[in-house]
Amino acid sequence: MPLPPVFRLVVRNFRASIDPITLLVMFGQPAFLIVILGTMFNQLIPSVGSSGSYIDFLVPGMIASQMITGAVLAGRTFWLDRRWSMVEQIFSGPFRRSEYLAALLLTTLLFALVGVGILTLVALPLIGLPRLSTVELLVILGTIALGATFFGALLIAIGGRIRSANLYFTIQSLLQYFLIFISTVYYPVTAKTPLALRAVVYANPLTYAANTVRDAFSHTFGPSDLTAGAVLAGLGICTFFLAVASFRQLEFGPVQ
Amino acid sequence: MLFGKELRQCGRAERARIGVVLQSESLDFVSVEQNLRLYAFLWGVPREVAKARAEEMLELFELGPMRDRRPWGLSGGERRRFQVARELMHEMELLFLDEPTVGLDALTRTRILDYLAGRARRGLSIVFTTHILHEADRLCDRIGVMNAGRLATVGSPDEIKRAYRGARTVEAEFARPLSVPEGGDLRATLERLGEEFVLVEAHDDLLLFRARNAEALVAEVARWAGARGIDLERIAVQEATLEDAFVRLVSDPTPLGFPSPEVG
Repeated sequence: MPLPPVFRLVVRNFRASIDPITLLVMFGQPAFLIVILGTMFNQLIPSVGSSGSYIDFLVPGMIASQMITGAVLAGRTFWLDRRWSMVEQIFSGPFRRSEYLAALLLTTLLFALVGVGILTLVALPLIGLPRLSTVELLVILGTIALGATFFGALLIAIGGRIRSANLYFTIQSLLQYFLIFISTVYYPVTAKTPLALRAVVYANPLTYAANTVRDAFSHTFGPSDLTAGAVLAGLGICTFFLAVASFRQLEFGPVQ
Repeated sequence: MLFGKELRQCGRAERARIGVVLQSESLDFVSVEQNLRLYAFLWGVPREVAKARAEEMLELFELGPMRDRRPWGLSGGERRRFQVARELMHEMELLFLDEPTVGLDALTRTRILDYLAGRARRGLSIVFTTHILHEADRLCDRIGVMNAGRLATVGSPDEIKRAYRGARTVEAEFARPLSVPEGGDLRATLERLGEEFVLVEAHDDLLLFRARNAEALVAEVARWAGARGIDLERIAVQEATLEDAFVRLVSDPTPLGFPSPEVG
């Protein structure tokens, strides 16, 4: 009995389109950063976050950022499918557009979870085994799921409207670095943070995700995190519909 | 219409019964063999069946030596063969092929077309899009000619050739120019054949006919010339090609005097 179409497409997304070197760079880079930044900045930064340790601050932020890694990989898969006419090929078979979109979003989520797993393993020697309650674990996974939906759908919506690989990958890189660096993934917002920068950081959905995951790690999960989750869910729904609209208007034919 | 349904109403069930080889290259970023097996997986083909079929396709399309290579490292002809092979990894009732032989050398083209002709004989319906009209003439039972985005005509290759070019051309060259009365006499004689011929060109000693029954026309012209003591230098029958018919059809879509196929 074959798997349902969405799962067949997810398996295919994993097996095709993604080469080992890309995976190594995508997942290896954050792991490398945790080790280097965590070790080096830990000596420089005296007190940050609830525990005061920079590494304790950094790891949850980096884990939250894996939703971007998942989205980038799924966006790349979609773009390559367009570039190499696999979207047309798949749609000519027994698959619906909604199934292909669902499979891409599920791929985003699974890639993000793979990233979370890798980072957690890398961080284990630095922060030890985090003692999370079931609720805190669910909060982390739920936040990653919402964030992956938001960023994945955003990149898919953009990828569906652009016909130039250069432009798509430029936008993707800009978004990726802008979102990660202008957020609370690497550093906190403090009273000394310039107001304009603070406004931008708080306009960034990754900030809400990073803060929520961090609060779950430090057992300080509270009402503000619920609000953050709601904001993330709302944004996720919006970008999901943008991706659906982009898919409905998806034009076949050559892309450069 | 597809499988008796309006195209708009066709969904997964209908698409599951067809195969499509796109004109553009479509491929996944894995090796040739993995591409074949992954595509079969996508179509829900059981693993063991897919494995056996991949071997069959690799051998049939002579892709075995490049089974571990990525498709974009193949030559244009190999990639085309790979694409056709991949589509045949799953079962289907109807196969759409969009110019599958573009850019292929003669040997590869013949190999692919022979295989497809064999599959068609074993019951697979194939819709084959091509600009290479002698391929369509050789392979297809029924041809639809598209002109400026519209279906200009549909029929068997013979029907289309007959309707738009005459089945065959008969060229008769006499030893001397025919006089006007002789020309009229010949025409009157031949008209007894009914609508079996059309006089296309006449130059002094050379007459060019398009004829459905070329043999009867040749016999009649020879008999007429013999009876009047006029030497017939040469009389030749040329097969009409689909290309001739196509050129005539797109420049003037009015069928010649022969029975017309269904015109769209």
